[in-house]
Amino acid sequence: MKKNTKGVDHRKIKNILDKNKAKIELSMKACAHCSMCAESCFLFQARNKDPRYMPSYKFLKTLGVIYKKKGKVDRVTLEEMKPILWKRCVLCTRCYCPMGIDIPYLIRTARSICRSQDVYYRYDEDA
Amino acid sequence: MDPLNLIYDLARGPLVWVAFAVFIVGSAAQLVRMWRLTSPPDETYVPRVKKADGKNKLPLSYRIRLSVAGSSPVTVAVTTLFHLCLVITPLFVLGHNILLDNAWRVSLCSFPERFSDVLTTVVIICAGYFLARRVFSERVRIISSFWDYLFLGLAAGPFITGYLAYHQICDYKLVITVHMLLGEAMLVAIPFTKFVHMLFFFVFRFAVASEYSLGNGKRRW
Repeated sequence: MKKNTKGVDHRKIKNILDKNKAKIELSMKACAHCSMCAESCFLFQARNKDPRYMPSYKFLKTLGVIYKKKGKVDRVTLEEMKPILWKRCVLCTRCYCPMGIDIPYLIRTARSICRSQDVYYRYDEDA
Repeated sequence: MDPLNLIYDLARGPLVWVAFAVFIVGSAAQLVRMWRLTSPPDETYVPRVKKADGKNKLPLSYRIRLSVAGSSPVTVAVTTLFHLCLVITPLFVLGHNILLDNAWRVSLCSFPERFSDVLTTVVIICAGYFLARRVFSERVRIISSFWDYLFLGLAAGPFITGYLAYHQICDYKLVITVHMLLGEAMLVAIPFTKFVHMLFFFVFRFAVASEYSLGNGKRRW
């Protein structure tokens, strides 16, 4: 199936990725997918320990996907990331990675990429 | 010449030095790269950095309880044991030191063989725990990929084959050749793959100041 890439400016996404490349690349590699960051997220605790609220899940399924595809993501994919980045994370910066990965930075970068494509949470409309 | 003998000679000779060279140069380059990602403390911009060092930190007992050691004590204990044995065992195995002595006339002290065997068994059991956790725990499974299983296998592989070789299970020559090849593959993989977390951990948990930093590093991301 042909992807809906209409209206997605890949150059903008690529620019953001390139600007943060070293840190994103190292962070993605250093993540051992251990899930030890889970308990540090208060939303994970509050949502019955739903693994979709784990900090690692949130950055792997958003920035991780964008980075792996070198920014060539379609609008549907970006729209799917919206609730992960805004509804499941409040960027309280309390998440804690035993490896020392700066998780809030990764979520923030993913939000920037989505915003650059006019994908963001409109609390008055999307709530 | 028998192909197995040829691979054995390669794995025992030039490939060892290639693996060590790639490991040392690659790790040094990655460490420099990581260090460059951090900046010196900017007291005016991040006043917390000042508080994060020394006496202003929470007492150690609180920090342990609030950290992963408090939330997942078993996994933290297994992880610590696994990584300690993973690094220490190959350095002090008698067989490795004999090879080192033959090549350079220098060697480290060696553990008694029985003790090395126990440490090897510990690594294999811990790897089994990680595998079970990855397969049966939903929170780990949901973020796992093929590569996680592969790298777990690559980390445990040299120890499993080492164990088999020591106990003379299966064809010794074949097992010891696979053991050397896996060990070399692991060394080469450390700076460039998921194994880079070995280096990442020390730079960012010790050098960068944070609530849970180990040591008194004052740098920031």
